[in-house]
Amino acid sequence: MASDPSLLAGPSPDGPASGGLSGEKTAGGSGFGRYLRGRLTGSVASLVLVYLSSFFIFRVLGGDPLQAIAKDRRMTPEERAALREQLGLDQPLLAQFGKYTADVFSGNFGTSYQYRRPVMELVLERLSATVLLTGTALVLSVAVGLWVGARAGWRHGSRLDRAHVGVSLTLWSAPTFWLGMIVIMIFARQFGLFPVGGMVSHNVGPGLLAETLDVAHHLVLPAITMTAVIYAQYVLVMRSSILDEIGHDYLTTARAKGLRDDLVRRRHAIPNALLPTVTLVFLQLGGVISGAIVTETIFSWPGLGRMVFESIGFRDFPVLQTTFVLFSAAVIVANMCADIAYWFLDPRVRKA
Amino acid sequence: MEARTRAIMHTTRRGWRGLATMLAAVAVALAPTAGASAETHKKESDTLVIARGQSIDSLNPYFARNVIDFETLELSYETLVRLSAKDYSYVPGLATKWETSADGRAWTFTIRKNSKWSDGKPVTAHDAAFTYQLLIDNEDIHTRHVDFASKLESVEATDDHTLVITTKEPTPLVPSRYLPIIPKHIWEKVDNPAEHENNDPPLVGSGPYQMVEHVTEQFIRFKANKNYWDGKPEFDELVFRYYSSPDAEVAALESGEVDVVGYGSLTPAQFKSLKGQDGITANAAQNRRFVSLVLNPGARTKDGKRFGDGHPALRDVKVRQALHTAIDKSQLVDRVLDGYGDPGVGPVPKIFETLHWDGGDELITFNLEAANKILDDAGYERGKDGIRTMPNGSKPLKFRLYAHSDNPAYASIAKFLEGWWKDLGIEVQTESIEQGPLNDKNYLGEYDISFSGWGISPDPDFLAMHTCAALPGVTDGTERAHETFYCNPDYDKLQDQQTQETDEAERAKLIKEQQRILYRDSPQIYLYYQNQLEAYNSAKIESMAVQPADGGLITGQSNFLWAYHSARPVGSGADSEGGGSGALIAGIVVALLAAGAVGFYVMRRRTAGERE
Repeated sequence: MASDPSLLAGPSPDGPASGGLSGEKTAGGSGFGRYLRGRLTGSVASLVLVYLSSFFIFRVLGGDPLQAIAKDRRMTPEERAALREQLGLDQPLLAQFGKYTADVFSGNFGTSYQYRRPVMELVLERLSATVLLTGTALVLSVAVGLWVGARAGWRHGSRLDRAHVGVSLTLWSAPTFWLGMIVIMIFARQFGLFPVGGMVSHNVGPGLLAETLDVAHHLVLPAITMTAVIYAQYVLVMRSSILDEIGHDYLTTARAKGLRDDLVRRRHAIPNALLPTVTLVFLQLGGVISGAIVTETIFSWPGLGRMVFESIGFRDFPVLQTTFVLFSAAVIVANMCADIAYWFLDPRVRKA
Repeated sequence: MEARTRAIMHTTRRGWRGLATMLAAVAVALAPTAGASAETHKKESDTLVIARGQSIDSLNPYFARNVIDFETLELSYETLVRLSAKDYSYVPGLATKWETSADGRAWTFTIRKNSKWSDGKPVTAHDAAFTYQLLIDNEDIHTRHVDFASKLESVEATDDHTLVITTKEPTPLVPSRYLPIIPKHIWEKVDNPAEHENNDPPLVGSGPYQMVEHVTEQFIRFKANKNYWDGKPEFDELVFRYYSSPDAEVAALESGEVDVVGYGSLTPAQFKSLKGQDGITANAAQNRRFVSLVLNPGARTKDGKRFGDGHPALRDVKVRQALHTAIDKSQLVDRVLDGYGDPGVGPVPKIFETLHWDGGDELITFNLEAANKILDDAGYERGKDGIRTMPNGSKPLKFRLYAHSDNPAYASIAKFLEGWWKDLGIEVQTESIEQGPLNDKNYLGEYDISFSGWGISPDPDFLAMHTCAALPGVTDGTERAHETFYCNPDYDKLQDQQTQETDEAERAKLIKEQQRILYRDSPQIYLYYQNQLEAYNSAKIESMAVQPADGGLITGQSNFLWAYHSARPVGSGADSEGGGSGALIAGIVVALLAAGAVGFYVMRRRTAGERE
């Protein structure tokens, strides 16, 4: 199973037991306390590593932020020197790192070179847009994916099963930018049902209802495109979990009690099959804030993913550093939550 | 068997029910919005919507960087002198007339009496003096504009309508410098004008459109200035709408969401697809940009210290001329640009007619034989493998060619160059590199040949990048004022003269001579001036002024946005109906879907018992 190509890469969804360093060796404490401590240590260690690499990883790329700042304009040497000093780029790398660390611990994530505004302000401004889009797509794809997957698995081998799996895998394999353009061409350009891009219109009157509807109107195409691309993973996971359950005796017992086929599936098979999907949902939850660069770009959605993309070209180090830490932290925390949830959901983890 | 078929049919029908439920949900979410857009569409005929791909950086007039910053300033504020739509010549702006003193150092501007700030106060010479004085007084602003600011001696408003600017030495930059005049009564309250971002609407300005709303990376909305002295704009509102993909811009023009596209230029394919469509006018305009090759003539510091690893053959002007002679620029225009452009000569593009040098009878024409002869005569003989070597036989003529990886045109050009230069006995290895690291290599002198593209402003200060003074003082590649380590005292002399020459015709002569020297020495080979490919909704816009008048552009005008100030709407009525019917269709489709879905669902519910 691949992870969503349009989300910033998270760790591979290889199960809940992968979290960080081996906290299991820590002695003492009750079962859950020890387990929790292990997970926490692992997460904190990962965060520290992420933080360290965040500073150096983008500077290894090469390139001079001043070049991007200057654009086509000719810069005099005096101006260059002044700007370099202003941005702190005249300092040795280690001194810059020291300052970055000091700033971060005092809650200051720096000022963007590109937008010349505090990074946190920029991030918060775009966070809601991203969460709205990826969150909607996540909810939709989980709902549709699980629903379709459960039915496809229940009737595996049927025409319906083949059709569902075929369609979802085709969409999964379709390049997002291509699918997005097709969707725009048909629904926005040809039929004029939806706007081509953006999140708000310039000509919507004030009022909460009008504004909400306007955003919803803009949300439809990007959310559906993103859902179409990512729901296949839930279909496949759910389908295979159902297949695992389908031969079990407890289902036969349920049928013997005289339950309808529908109810056997809904009340008995699905709850047991849900477990693996929990991991998947949690992993994707971490990816929600890193957004979907491609979808955001095609639909001109003002989210975080696109800001990061533009910052790479610009060598906007403060933005890159902060978002890198933020995105990684989200994935790490989500993984940790998955681990903790597993403790309660799956008795086998408790015995490990 | 029977049972199984029934089971499948059963599930299939269930699937349909799910789909219907989903459609109903979407339809419900959508229906009111379709109605809302039908209402707003009617007003759209008064609004000019322009697709943009950039976000605002800063609207501080001294620190603006992005094209969209400048355009927002150009709409909101005015300059003393404007560059005409006809041919970039000077025409009155806030100043009705201006004079130079006999020694060329004192400039007297008469400020018009009929211009007002958007808060109702009159614009006076004191505002202008305040704006220019900051260039002298404020340290940060001074540094940012040092090439111009260091020439200023004093600025004075002798009365409400007379501004006198005195310079230390004669300079033609006073009228040509782009500097929007800001309201003194607002800005004198600002602590440090250098740190004032000025991004929050409404701005107090005196230009043709005033910014009233700005939603980051969504849109910027302007309202027409009804009191604008040069005539109120005919569109009541102007909107810069943000798109992050050029394909989306094109789709938005076709769907009627925007009216003007082309900032950053469309691709020839996009342009051709728009060209034949009803209600869309496509404009292939002259542009202010060139694409060039920079040849490494030997990286060095101001003190003459050599560094980098450029190929020694490129220090020889003969080799550079041979390479230049072996480029078929017309073919590049035809094949790479689909004909939308002009072969390049000097760094000042054809669009600036008065300053552009056309090559005269020194124009180099594509001639492989002549190019080969240049190299033969200079002693670069072919080895056994057909590749030439240095006259002393030490090194084969194998050049690295660096292309920016984000520019597909460069990759196609490189293919042509490899072919032509192979016939010269020169081997070229093209490498595609990301922009940042490529620039690093250039300034470290670690390249042989590399692509370089620039947009040129009406005052071609780009020429200063080829002077000896622009050479770096250090070898670590951090001083980047130069273009390709070129240094020639003859050229520098002309540069000094033209930056002090206040007679326009005389100055044009000097600038042309500079271009001639660059052309002859070929440290940089100008391949072509690509067209700006743009399009607009001619069902809504009757006409717009282009700059210059002859084959000029709409998007990317200089100093004053003539196009939007002059844009005239097509007689209202027809177009608003079109917008309404689109929304009406949407509404009908949605209503049908909703009704169908709900009906289907209800029916399924009613018969559920029987089917179970």
